[in-house]
Amino acid sequence: MLESDPFRDFSKHEDPSIALPCSYISLPDGPHTRELASARRMPPKGAIFKVFSGVLMLASFFAIIVGGRNSDVHANGNALLATSTSSMASEPLRPVSRGVSAGVSEKANRVFSGIEVVSFPWNNTMLSWQRTAYHFQPEKNWMNDPNGPMYYKGWYHFFYQYNPNGPVWGDIVWGHAASKDLIHWLHLPLAMVADQWYDLNGVWTGSATLLPDGRVIMLYTGSTNESVQVQNLAYPANLSDPLLVNWEKYSGNPVLRPPPGVDLKDFRDPTTAWYTSDGKWNIAIGSKVNKTGITLIYHTEDFKSYELLDGVLHAVPGTGMWECVDFYPVSKISGKGLDTSANGPEVKHVLKTSLDNDKNDYYAIGTYDEKAGRWVPDNSKIGIELRYDYGIFYASKSFYDLHKGRRVLWGWIKESDSEIADVKKGWASVQSIPRTVLLDTKTGTNLLQWPVEEVDSLRLTSREFERVEVKAGSVVPLDIDAATQLDIFAEFELDKEALEMTAQTNVEFSCSTSGGAAERGALGPFGLLVLADDSLSEQTPVYFFVAKGTDGNLKTFFCADQTRSSEATDVNKQIYGSSVPVLKDEKLSVRILVDHSIVEIFAQGGRTCITSRVYPTKAIYGAARLFLFNNATGASVTSSVKIWQMNSAFIRPFQPGQDA
Amino acid sequence: MKLLLLIFLVQAVLLTIYLPASQGTVQPMDARLIEQTCKQTPLYNLCVSILKSDSRSSKADVTGLALIMVDVLKAKATGTRNYITRLLRGNLKRDVRHGLSSCADVYNAVLEADVPVAIEALQKGNPKFAEQAANDAAIEASSCERSFSGHSPLTKSNKSMQDVSSVAAAIVRLLL
Repeated sequence: MLESDPFRDFSKHEDPSIALPCSYISLPDGPHTRELASARRMPPKGAIFKVFSGVLMLASFFAIIVGGRNSDVHANGNALLATSTSSMASEPLRPVSRGVSAGVSEKANRVFSGIEVVSFPWNNTMLSWQRTAYHFQPEKNWMNDPNGPMYYKGWYHFFYQYNPNGPVWGDIVWGHAASKDLIHWLHLPLAMVADQWYDLNGVWTGSATLLPDGRVIMLYTGSTNESVQVQNLAYPANLSDPLLVNWEKYSGNPVLRPPPGVDLKDFRDPTTAWYTSDGKWNIAIGSKVNKTGITLIYHTEDFKSYELLDGVLHAVPGTGMWECVDFYPVSKISGKGLDTSANGPEVKHVLKTSLDNDKNDYYAIGTYDEKAGRWVPDNSKIGIELRYDYGIFYASKSFYDLHKGRRVLWGWIKESDSEIADVKKGWASVQSIPRTVLLDTKTGTNLLQWPVEEVDSLRLTSREFERVEVKAGSVVPLDIDAATQLDIFAEFELDKEALEMTAQTNVEFSCSTSGGAAERGALGPFGLLVLADDSLSEQTPVYFFVAKGTDGNLKTFFCADQTRSSEATDVNKQIYGSSVPVLKDEKLSVRILVDHSIVEIFAQGGRTCITSRVYPTKAIYGAARLFLFNNATGASVTSSVKIWQMNSAFIRPFQPGQDA
Repeated sequence: MKLLLLIFLVQAVLLTIYLPASQGTVQPMDARLIEQTCKQTPLYNLCVSILKSDSRSSKADVTGLALIMVDVLKAKATGTRNYITRLLRGNLKRDVRHGLSSCADVYNAVLEADVPVAIEALQKGNPKFAEQAANDAAIEASSCERSFSGHSPLTKSNKSMQDVSSVAAAIVRLLL
């Protein structure tokens, strides 16, 4: 790649009036300017003095330089970079795309791999279609992490990272909404703003703990006026207000500062507390040491003073910073959720983290030794295998819903279009539909996620298509009215003969590196085309791909393909997915929630989930269609599909005197 | 005599402290940090030349180096946007005017969204948003370039923006 100095080219050939950037560009005002303060300068003294003090100076010169430099090296990150081996040279511990391990993110890959990106002329019609009808989102501006979800006095509460000033991340405060049923949300005033020195640079993510005596504890991360990450305590100003509109911050904040050995900016996102038999409450906070992601545990009795436990709950080298750690029990036997403090022989514990360096949520199932304060995974190192969701799903957080006895999971679903489009449309990000989380007792090795049952209350009319045969290489239109707000449940059966006759292959299949739905195999891909237009110039295939491995066993993959989802080139065009466990005699099944620019997909009862953002330019409003398809070379597939039209959830500001 | 000695000693001390800085020498450790950082970006020479020509880099850690790079990105975007404004005042063919208008939107977005987000994210310790913003700036520059059906008057600006953005994103990645 040509590496000529672009400054010179830029100014010489194009516009002589553009000033050459000089070395005294003024910095924006900000709290953290310490590191960038230029060394104060003295004009060089006359040559006479230099000569005069020559040799004597050299000795003191070296003494001061060597001594002074040592202390400077410990500025944030310097020591880590100087002493650690090159992070890019270390082996990736998990299969990430080439882009990430080579230090370039997915979005940059779009540019540098030669894909021609043009700024699409989005108009208001197209952009306003993108707003969802039944997923949680504020009326405008930017949202990210879910915060402090809980159930209290008849209402579900949801808080979220919010920028009141624009549709990009920044100026973060806590938004707030309440609902009777996790679906119909009413917007409430901002719960917390950045009005204290200890959260002046950001009221960041936190979690709620409901105490047995009825008190509500909210722990959250504040970015202080010097950008140090600390943990703060807040609680409702008035516990008898079921809407918990007003919040108070503890006068003794912060209650936790970064411990020694951890960077001041690697200490955030405290969890819900759990109670252990030694009479203490425990919280977990993610961090990192060099490139090892870790989870710290603190003990507390009053949520005001804390004791750091020795060691860590768990750590995995090479995974980087652990954000939004979540730690909770799941039952091995019942189909119900468990309170965060539950424990016992019939309980496993899930540890989950959001990895800062690849923007995905990972979890593993394991065993918690509460006496030692350690958790050990059953099978895999966290960060390698299991993701909650193989599409866009980050900073997720679960809570125990004591109203219905279930564990419910929220996930932040960001945009995958360009920021210029977000600026034009005035908003960015939605939340996933809340999902119940359970241990998959049939496999024992993964969780099951499923949209909360209350989403069914949005179903309006339905149409059913039974045992439709979809021959190899064909597309079958499903005649429904509108196709932008749907709840779809489909089952598929591959032609048995074809299954037996298919040759084995030793080619490893992966959704993300495959040719998408256009790449034909013997036993797939087949599934549905959502948000497609009549001519199929825009389509989002959601599909299964079955392969027969060298051992003769079938392996099933489940993918969602964005590559032809839109004629616009400034949107993400990836293929998401993963393998999905399919047990003997199980039909292949999928549930799809289509809600304008978000598609949430659950395969095999929630064993593999994919959330995708889709931005069609044509397949919108009345022009959107739904199809069955089968792009296998030989095998035909039989499918039964039930499709419901979905109502809007009418998410709106709370009006006094109104009920949800 | 004592006064002279005192002056001498004071000069000696001052010289000792400021002599290296006044000569503009990059200290051994600073140069190493810059070089190590830039090795992990796609454009080593560009990265090094930008950082070394900024006096702040001698006292900066990796976050500081990233902020310098974002500052350069901002300067370039500002320059390009101003240039576009001037070009638009002239007599232009319709397709060129159309492309330039598109690019004006693009560079406005970079300056209003990407740059402030990158700066805030780096300063406040949530670098992943800075990486996303830097990557977005690269994409916006590329899409501006493609909005001309014929010859683009902004090829060098856009390439420069892409280059600096990719370097900035790579530096931020080191913080994750």
